[in-house]
Amino acid sequence: MDLAPHLLAAVDFRTLPEQFTNGLFLGSIYALIALGYTMVYGILKLINFAHGDVYMLGAYMAFFVSEWLGFGPGSNKQHSNLWNLALMLIASMVLCAVVGVIIERFAYRPLRSHPRIASLITAIGVSLFLEYGGALYLPNSPPPNINELVNPYRGSWDISIVGPGKKFVQAEKDTVAQLDQTKAAYDAYMNAHPDASEFDLPPDGNALRQAYLAARDKHSDAARAMSSSGVSIHLIFGDLIIFGTSVLLMGILTYLVMFTRAGRAMRAVSHDFDSAALMGVNVDQIVMFTFIIGSALAGAGAMMQATFKGTALTTFFGFVPGVKAFVAAVLGGIGNIPGAVLGGLLMGVSETTMYWLGYGRYADAIAFVILIVVLLFRPGGLLGSAKMEKV
Amino acid sequence: MSLLDVKEATIRFGGLVAVNKVSFKIEPGMLFGLIGPNGAGKTTLFNLVTGMYTPTSGQILFKDRQISGTPCNKIAALGVCRTFQNIRLFPALSVLENVVVAGFLRHKTGLLSALAYLPPAIKETEALKKEAMELLKVLDLDSVANLRSADLPYGKQRRIEIARAMATRPDLLLLDEPAAGMNPQEKEDLRETVRKIRDEHGLTVLVIEHDMRFVMNLCEHIVVLDHGEEIASGPPDKIRSDPKVIAAYLGEAV
Amino acid sequence: MNDYQQRLIVLAGLYVTLSVSLNLINGITGQFSIGHAAFYQIGAYATGYLSIHYIQAFAPKVGGDVPWLLLMIVVGAIAAAIAGLLVGLPSLRLRGDYLAIVTLGFGEIVRIVVQNNDALGGSYALANIPRIQPIWVSLLLAVVCIAVCRNLLKTARGQTYLAVREDEVAAAAMGVNITGVKVTAFMIGSAFAGAAGAVLAHYEGVVTPQTFTMDVSFIILTMVVLGGNGSITGSVFAALFLFYLPEYLRDLKSPDGSALIISGGAVLAGLLAVGFGVAVIRWALNNAKLARGTRVAAYFGSVVVAVPIFFIARVGIHLIPTMATTQVQAGQLRMVIFAVSLIAIMLIRPQGIFAHHEFSWTWVRKLFGKPGVPTEIAA
Repeated sequence: MDLAPHLLAAVDFRTLPEQFTNGLFLGSIYALIALGYTMVYGILKLINFAHGDVYMLGAYMAFFVSEWLGFGPGSNKQHSNLWNLALMLIASMVLCAVVGVIIERFAYRPLRSHPRIASLITAIGVSLFLEYGGALYLPNSPPPNINELVNPYRGSWDISIVGPGKKFVQAEKDTVAQLDQTKAAYDAYMNAHPDASEFDLPPDGNALRQAYLAARDKHSDAARAMSSSGVSIHLIFGDLIIFGTSVLLMGILTYLVMFTRAGRAMRAVSHDFDSAALMGVNVDQIVMFTFIIGSALAGAGAMMQATFKGTALTTFFGFVPGVKAFVAAVLGGIGNIPGAVLGGLLMGVSETTMYWLGYGRYADAIAFVILIVVLLFRPGGLLGSAKMEKV
Repeated sequence: MSLLDVKEATIRFGGLVAVNKVSFKIEPGMLFGLIGPNGAGKTTLFNLVTGMYTPTSGQILFKDRQISGTPCNKIAALGVCRTFQNIRLFPALSVLENVVVAGFLRHKTGLLSALAYLPPAIKETEALKKEAMELLKVLDLDSVANLRSADLPYGKQRRIEIARAMATRPDLLLLDEPAAGMNPQEKEDLRETVRKIRDEHGLTVLVIEHDMRFVMNLCEHIVVLDHGEEIASGPPDKIRSDPKVIAAYLGEAV
Repeated sequence: MNDYQQRLIVLAGLYVTLSVSLNLINGITGQFSIGHAAFYQIGAYATGYLSIHYIQAFAPKVGGDVPWLLLMIVVGAIAAAIAGLLVGLPSLRLRGDYLAIVTLGFGEIVRIVVQNNDALGGSYALANIPRIQPIWVSLLLAVVCIAVCRNLLKTARGQTYLAVREDEVAAAAMGVNITGVKVTAFMIGSAFAGAAGAVLAHYEGVVTPQTFTMDVSFIILTMVVLGGNGSITGSVFAALFLFYLPEYLRDLKSPDGSALIISGGAVLAGLLAVGFGVAVIRWALNNAKLARGTRVAAYFGSVVVAVPIFFIARVGIHLIPTMATTQVQAGQLRMVIFAVSLIAIMLIRPQGIFAHHEFSWTWVRKLFGKPGVPTEIAA
């Protein structure tokens, strides 16, 4: 690992705002997955190790739906629309919800009376099962991507925060004149000699060509310097859709948790499982409800990641985002819903910051470092609290 | 020198003051009682003395040595050991093994000796097992020595806890509701046993109990707690007729 | 015996060592470490690196290759034990599931750091480790590991480890230094894993980061859980079983001599059958937990249910075209078998097959109808 003393010299501060917004967009997907972890932990005090793999299945579902809609990997179909995306989104969310409920019902519920370690071990087993069992049936190598043609919104915006420096603008303008002049001379020569090959010109023609090429290079250098002298953010529509959809889904979640009866029951169960049961809450149903919501959110995240970011799908690709989302949940305070959102965004930003600093190789390791630091120094997370064991 | 000297021990949990400036002294060889209504702070006081909690203020001195803030296992090594209100045996271990674990406190052999199963470790283990058996005999448990401790009835489990605590060779033994769930005959036997422990083994005993008759007939000095504060202290006769005590809780007829 | 069989024996011995050493941490002391492969990796890489660079100079001084290997085993053990101390000390006050995640995270950090370190071969391999390959070394290590754990458990000191597992608050009240016990268990367990790593490095001559992924930690964990948390015997049996079963499957040949290929549909049918079998056992255990006989009947009944379901399901599933044509090589099933074993054992018998029990000569006597020798006191 090279800890270069000139650490920050390689860093370009002008790309910071863009990296920051990229981090937020990345973080919104982590937040969606983290919500699943945090809600399940809040209710069952269980780390649902298999959550990342449910996410993976959501992505595959989106892939299969996109194929069914005619946008398979080799396809050239030109026109997609919002309904295609909506269908994919809903299909992913529904599949993930169903898988989540099945896992809960058959792998976790029988072990509810056992020590929590037992459920964690089972969760590990389920995770391995989905990954390796899935590898037997799902297309894994070469890993498929969702065809980007299914996304009708493929443009981007460039938002300029600080315009390019005046010096650079002037320099660019200066090179334009030179460029026009040399180009005109060269074009005139080529028109006068239609049979000449541009790679085998006599000395006088060659001189004109070289002059033109030199002027062209100078101009493009100046143009590049000009554009990077300003501070701008390059916003891809896909990222904006991801962010917007995430916010919308989180809003719906907040409504569900804060303002509905089921949501109140969820909060009660997460405070005290047994008391809630004694108060007449149907805990089995509430647990199922929690898994449905958590898994559906992960499915939404998966569909968006696979569709708008074009990630290659393997049955193992859910693992790393799953871990990062788990760290996000712990960072924010596991069991704490706003904490999961905050944690997700922070994880996203810290990851893009690692790339920005030039340590992209360690981007994954940073997640584990954050995890260990949080667990050792503030296990309750940023928004959580500590508790004392009573003898 | 008093064996245990509690000086204005106080502990707060958030806004709740569970034990408030409680002070008392226990002399060696005493049979000391700690009573009070539910929630008065008796077990919390035990937890303070044994090191599970650290007092927010005040001091606890054992043999004139400050022990507040010392970790549990060190306090046990110094000579204070307890039983638990909600029985906390080692469920998967046999009765004998439960007691041997506590006896290990006085061990002298090292880790290597155990890992390599060298004669010193073997001998020590045998010696600990023998001593444990003798303690079990004192508490009439030798017949169940090899049974799994979790499989035994409640009354026997309480006695196992006492044997286990005694195995650490304490100077001060703290019993947290040892008579709970026992019938009158068992309680009488227990009273005899505790007296025997004090007389023949030289232990000082501090007992928390709800059963007034048990405490009055056993203890030589009693402290009464209510809402974390000490409301009376003295020999049984004085406590029995103390109006504050009677007001604090109408216990069983004495 | 050919090279391949030799290698299997060496690896089996290593897995037994890994499994028994993890059992010391998880089963005997009641902690929850699921990053054991990290210590395996540390031992392998540390000694591999040292051997590459220093064996020429120093092996003659210690008397040759094999003594050098033994020295490396000790070095690997120490390196891993130090790592175990570093991980263990701050983490041991964490609650069970959190401790698990921290150990997992530590394992990944080790793997990623090694992967990005070119001196250790980066993401390719640390190669050209001098090969020192006597089989007996691996087997001896396994025996030593088993012996050490068994010795510990037979002494009073070992009982305190069990006490920490059973109820650490009570143990502390009885004078047990619980932090000392936990850290010691961690260090001994990781030391053996490091030793195993040293043996691996010198047997294979090459180690790559891929050898030490989280899956390896999970495999070792499955062995401990299946065998019985706390049972040395169980860990040994489960390690051997779970190690040899996939190898056996990989070797299965179809009648024409090529590698056996199973249809995807058959695998799915098999999974369904196992699922039903587990469900039957659970139902039986929940509704009639009385005599031993009921349990045996439950297991028997599950097989009776599962087998026909397998055949029926296979016919049905093969009606779906993709299922009939998807081909699965027997070797690919390895991790699936691990995963299914893990889930099944947790649902049927979470304490593992052997639970807390150990092999003892009393059992053997009972098998032959002789009464067991009374231990210590007559009941």
